Amino acid sequence: MKVLLFGTCLAGTFRESIIQGAVRALQRAGAEVLIPRGLTCCGQPAFNAGDWEDARRMARHTIGVLEAAGDVPVVLLAGSCTAMIRHHYADLFADDPAWLPRARALAARTYEFTEFLVDVLGVTDLGVRFPYRITYHPSCHLLRALGVDRQPRALIAALHGAAFVELPHADECCGFGGVFSAEFPEIAHAMLERKVANIAATQADYCLTADPSCLLHIQGGLRRAGVPTRMLHIAEVLGETWQKG
Amino acid sequence: MDALRQAVRKALADEALQAALDANAERRRAARERAHATLPEPWEVMRGRAAEVRADILAHWDEVLTRFVARARANGFIVHQAADAAEARRIILDIVAAQGPAPRLVAKSKSMVTEEIALNAALEAAGHRVVETDLGEFIVQLRHERPAHIITPAVHLRRQEVAQTFHDLLGMPYTEDVAAMTATARRHLREVFLQADVGISGVNFGIADTGGICIVTNEGNGRMVTTLPRVHIAVMGAERLVRTPEDLALMLELLPRSATGQDLTVYTTLIHGPRRAGEDGPEERHLVIVDNGRQRLAQTPLADALRCIRCGACLNACPVFREIGGHAYVGRHGEPTPYPGPIGIVISPGLFGSEKFGNLPYLCTLCGACAEACPVEVPLPELILRARAPQPATRHSPPATRHSLFATRHSLFATRHAPPFRSFLALYARLATRPHLFRRAQRLLAAATPLLARLLPIPFLQGVGVSEETGIANEESGITNEELGIANEESGIANEEPPFAIRHSQFATRNSPFATRLTALDGEILPAPDMTTAGEAIVRFLQREEVTEVLAWAPEHLPAEVTAALQRAGIAFCHGEPAACRVGLTGAALGIAATGSIVVPSGAGRPQAASLLPEIHIAVLRRGDIVPDLTTALRRLDLAAAGMTAIITGPSRTADIEMTLTLGVHGPRRVVVVLVG
Repeated sequence: MKVLLFGTCLAGTFRESIIQGAVRALQRAGAEVLIPRGLTCCGQPAFNAGDWEDARRMARHTIGVLEAAGDVPVVLLAGSCTAMIRHHYADLFADDPAWLPRARALAARTYEFTEFLVDVLGVTDLGVRFPYRITYHPSCHLLRALGVDRQPRALIAALHGAAFVELPHADECCGFGGVFSAEFPEIAHAMLERKVANIAATQADYCLTADPSCLLHIQGGLRRAGVPTRMLHIAEVLGETWQKG
Repeated sequence: MDALRQAVRKALADEALQAALDANAERRRAARERAHATLPEPWEVMRGRAAEVRADILAHWDEVLTRFVARARANGFIVHQAADAAEARRIILDIVAAQGPAPRLVAKSKSMVTEEIALNAALEAAGHRVVETDLGEFIVQLRHERPAHIITPAVHLRRQEVAQTFHDLLGMPYTEDVAAMTATARRHLREVFLQADVGISGVNFGIADTGGICIVTNEGNGRMVTTLPRVHIAVMGAERLVRTPEDLALMLELLPRSATGQDLTVYTTLIHGPRRAGEDGPEERHLVIVDNGRQRLAQTPLADALRCIRCGACLNACPVFREIGGHAYVGRHGEPTPYPGPIGIVISPGLFGSEKFGNLPYLCTLCGACAEACPVEVPLPELILRARAPQPATRHSPPATRHSLFATRHSLFATRHAPPFRSFLALYARLATRPHLFRRAQRLLAAATPLLARLLPIPFLQGVGVSEETGIANEESGITNEELGIANEESGIANEEPPFAIRHSQFATRNSPFATRLTALDGEILPAPDMTTAGEAIVRFLQREEVTEVLAWAPEHLPAEVTAALQRAGIAFCHGEPAACRVGLTGAALGIAATGSIVVPSGAGRPQAASLLPEIHIAVLRRGDIVPDLTTALRRLDLAAAGMTAIITGPSRTADIEMTLTLGVHGPRRVVVVLVG
């Protein structure tokens, strides 16, 4: 099966090992992975900041690139970007008869990475050995905006040699919130401290997640607090690309 | 620094507030989840239906409101409709002024809409004395503060602060004993209830088909202010409607569970007009229906916010509210809003204008915990996103015009804060349509991150590059599950008893579900096989309590055997000063098994005061009159036939001071149901 991989701008800018991991994991699961040239940002930062005009411009660009790349599933490496395309593109173009059908068509073939592996490709065990104590942070958009929870947990449960510890208060927000953590860093810090304390309590070697944004935010908090647990994207673990960028 | 950021910093630095907010969040969450488990049908099913009920009201608002007003008038309410806050205040001031020259004494029970219209300040400016009678509101008013939460007004205060306030202002010897503080408030406020010229309450729901209003309270102050003063003014938001008693029952299954984790509030009062012949209660009942921006809001993309039933669940679920509390939600120039939390950051700009409160929708990470907790499925994250966007004038905006790449920024941006970040976002948006430039910018940004991480307090930037640095994956740790000895760490909060939790009852196995529920709520049961035995049991109870006088329903409204037993034992029916009676004796029209509630309608010779004023309330209930649930009860009752119908679920209770449960704050401390048959 051919898939288009949208690595997301954050992973592309700050952590390419996530994208490389996803490519390898998808290939192992039997998919043929294409990364369309010209993808940038889905428009979520502008949308969340209340600037729908900029968001529309970015959405039109994204829709155009993904249409040109072929009518096959699109896989994203972030719950929040998936929710943006799946739910909010239609909001952006609600009054635009030319773009609304195109937005809807793209939404219908867009999947979050773990969701695609488990629900579409039917794969949970990629034969990856990961002999560590691990925990999982379900990011808010993945969990509540997309309702994706069973899938990442199934992939984690299938890791060979891993010892899983449930994260206390796992479903509580880490405090990133995009625009939020830039506008209200003090509150974001306070929320992050809670998340970091909960992660520290698990004494996990690694905390896995499926959103690059929360990943980097929490990693910043862990580092500041001197907690040795490292954040990894599930794609980095499944593609075994996490050791060196 | 702008006012909002200043308020946020102040809240974060306040350690007592932080402790209180933590306790609130954790206990409310545990209580809510437990209460969901006792719902008659699955939560998702019931809240889906509740959402439809409220959406239907908004879709047919004019029609339903018109019917409600007509039937309320037919029931004897004097109905006023106020377009805005100023008109509402004027109407209420006129009613109070008509009771005689200032100062009049006004007793208020908790009401968010009166906070919204700033009623207290207006009454005080006119020379009247206004006393808030909900314990939390009372404390907040004594301290000249504002409520910090729509359900738990004094959530921000520790017991030491309350103790000091009571010591300074009420002359109470300093004590941190919550029961003693509550008793002081009871004594102080009882005088207010008895002397007040006017009682003012809010309204939880207006029932269109019956023309009545429903008010839910736990302490009993809601019943006091709607029963004792000669004039009652009920103030309601124009959208707070349901069509039928069945719809009301659905709302009442969800509202208390979502608010405090209770299956039902202690007092669910249904009011269908002023006192009827022979009844007690106010001679005049006014209903002030306040629009204040609601009709306008219904025409915007934020319309779904009008479904809200003000349970406060979204506040308790919100991780941002948990960090900053209600007082930190201030507008651009420091104006406080009565509505904080997730619903507040939508309706504050929605009702009062985004020029003032357009900054509030940014107090949110879009985590969605609020929407998950909402009993009427208000899509809060969607609404918050819409509240951030420039609002089109109507729900159906014209097709978007194509802006040029360098179009001028929308005016909203000009007034936003954190300009460097905003400029960055705007630049980023422009680059995003130019892939080559974008890629180069990405590289540049990645390279600049270590420097930025040192300059900016954004954790995200400090999280960049961590996995690359450590390279720990190369070391084989070789640890196995066994060696790790993994135990599932639980935070331990689940063990704490929420203030309204059902306690385990010895009654559980031996008696009816009704008795099980009531005893679990600290109510008492006197079982009796027949009325004769019931009469004897009541007399024995009264003799044990050394009571010789009861405030009771008229003899002809009590079972003949009970009346006869009282007379034989020489127990008098109190006629003089009802407030002095320690024990009230009433019948009950129905019992509700699911919640352990009794239904006590008013009527000639059946004073409401008997179930409200005394310290102990004894109610005679026939086992055959117990119905399974609230829906059946509301269907069975002819609501409009009684001026007031009180659904009473256990003794009066409060948890307004540090969420410590205390019984008997305003209403009876003990509720004894004589269960006959």
